[in-house]
Amino acid sequence: MTFLEAVRQKFFAFLIVLGAAMVLSSVAFRFLDFGHGELKFIADFGFGGMFLFGSILAVVMTAQLFFAEMDNRTALTLLAKPLSRAEFLIGKFFGVWMILGLFVIILSALLGLVLWGRAQELSLLAEQSGRVAPDFSFRGLGIFAVLQWLRLSVVAAIVLAIAAAARTFLFAVILGALTVVAGQLQWIAQDVLLKPTESMLYKSILWLTSRILPNLQQFNIGDALVLDSGTVAATSIGWVILSGLLYAAAYLFLGALVFRRREI
Amino acid sequence: MTSAISVRHLTKDFKMGLRGLKLRAVDDLSLEIPRGQVYGLLGPNGCGKSTTLKIVLGLVAGTSGEINILGFPSATAEARRRTGFLPEAPYFHKFLTGRELVRYCAQLSGVSAIKMESAVEAALGLAAMTEAASRPIGTYSKGMLQRIGLAQAIVHDPELVILDEPTAGVDPVGAAAIGRMIRTMRDQGKTVVLCSHLLGQVEQVCDRVAIMDHGRLVLEGRVDDVLAQRDRHLMTIEALTPDARVAAESALAAHGARVRSVTHPRRSLEELFRELVTGSRDA
Ligand SMILES: Nc1ncnc2c1ncn2[C@@H]1O[C@H](COP(=O)(O)OP(=O)(O)OP(=O)(O)O)[C@@H](O)[C@H]1O
Ligand SMILES: [Mg+2]
Repeated sequence: MTFLEAVRQKFFAFLIVLGAAMVLSSVAFRFLDFGHGELKFIADFGFGGMFLFGSILAVVMTAQLFFAEMDNRTALTLLAKPLSRAEFLIGKFFGVWMILGLFVIILSALLGLVLWGRAQELSLLAEQSGRVAPDFSFRGLGIFAVLQWLRLSVVAAIVLAIAAAARTFLFAVILGALTVVAGQLQWIAQDVLLKPTESMLYKSILWLTSRILPNLQQFNIGDALVLDSGTVAATSIGWVILSGLLYAAAYLFLGALVFRRREI
Repeated sequence: MTSAISVRHLTKDFKMGLRGLKLRAVDDLSLEIPRGQVYGLLGPNGCGKSTTLKIVLGLVAGTSGEINILGFPSATAEARRRTGFLPEAPYFHKFLTGRELVRYCAQLSGVSAIKMESAVEAALGLAAMTEAASRPIGTYSKGMLQRIGLAQAIVHDPELVILDEPTAGVDPVGAAAIGRMIRTMRDQGKTVVLCSHLLGQVEQVCDRVAIMDHGRLVLEGRVDDVLAQRDRHLMTIEALTPDARVAAESALAAHGARVRSVTHPRRSLEELFRELVTGSRDA
């Protein structure tokens, strides 16, 4: 239901197009022959686009779908059915989850295509000039896509928990966006944690927030995966996936708790 | 047997602003709604009817008081499984067709796959929406919207049907049709609770009424009992000449009865309207 509704919204198409444009525009820089560096550039550009527009999509679309149901009072009809509040919220989440999946798949496929095409060209050039041919891994890209999807899902779960408590759409979007930024800047907090000089109180506050907010940066092992797939250990990927799933579940649970008390 | 709905000492305060100012929407309301009847909840705008119904359905939490639906505590899935609800000014996902909406609601209400098609068609049939069922809801008129709302509320064959202003924005012919649907539901043994401002219709459809004002109950009882003036009588006489009238009055006076007024019976505007107009296009 949620999924269908969202796909019919123009906003989704708009973001896909923007993201796609970003990936494709990286090709425009092809005349600069960076060699291996060029593939990294394209990949960075594509990941950046996917992350930026994916985050916007996750925040705005989640809040939008939630408040559309509230404000149009369609939720009134649905929640008068023998459907629990938690089920309603989880339904919303899976709708958003599918959209995000679609978004990530489309953009990753595009990115893969661009990288592959360019890698072919570059290896031809490399043969001619006797340099090492650059390489990239589809498998790495696949894992990266899964991680991105998971990251965006965590964002969606957080936004849903915020929306369940928020009065207005705008408030939910702003707080959601701030959370994404905060999650993205987590490594700064963790750097500080490692320094022994700071006061204990300050440190414990930081420690607490860094546990509550997921470290979104940890999903960004894309480069390493795609360009030299050997360097990332499978266990660390496993940990990232596990912690992502746990965060998403925890935030959904929190959202469901808050939502139970909400007046429709 | 337990009542269909039993509300005991229900109070609801809405918080207004940050300084703890409160608006009392429902004030110590107690109601016993018997099964198998059509029950009308009346009152001016803002007297707390919709709020009461939402609390009964567990959509809003009451501040204090106790509510049971068909013997189950309200706000349980079990209570809601046996209840159908048409919200005030209903609004559904525009891009669904009427049939898709009803089917979706049936799924949510736990109608089994085997009974699905017959349940959906029966609900659409009762609401007279079979013809328009494959059009998207975005194209429906207000009357159709209310009727598709009725269909989604009854598709899982609930024992209790709660309708918040089922005839708001519907023309008198359409309203009469909805009135007939409500009576059909009662004949099937369902309990129907409704809010309405069309008092003429409430009078015809309801068995019992409760009137609220400022969140309080001011009157409750059977429609016939509440409205009948048992000490007065109305005669309707044809071809009354002045002489006949004098004779009749003196004959009555001989028995100690007095004629208080003589008027022409009047049709209600509603009756006249229904007589002149054949029905809206989508009725
Ligand atoms: N969510 C809310 N927050 C604050 N006040 C509310 C809320 N919902 C309703 N009220 C107030 O509670 C009172 C009762 O509202 P309610 O909707 O129950 O009236 P009603 O009897 O259904 O009126 P109507 O005939 O217009 O439908 C009103 O004064 C309304 O302003
Ligand atoms: Mg109302």
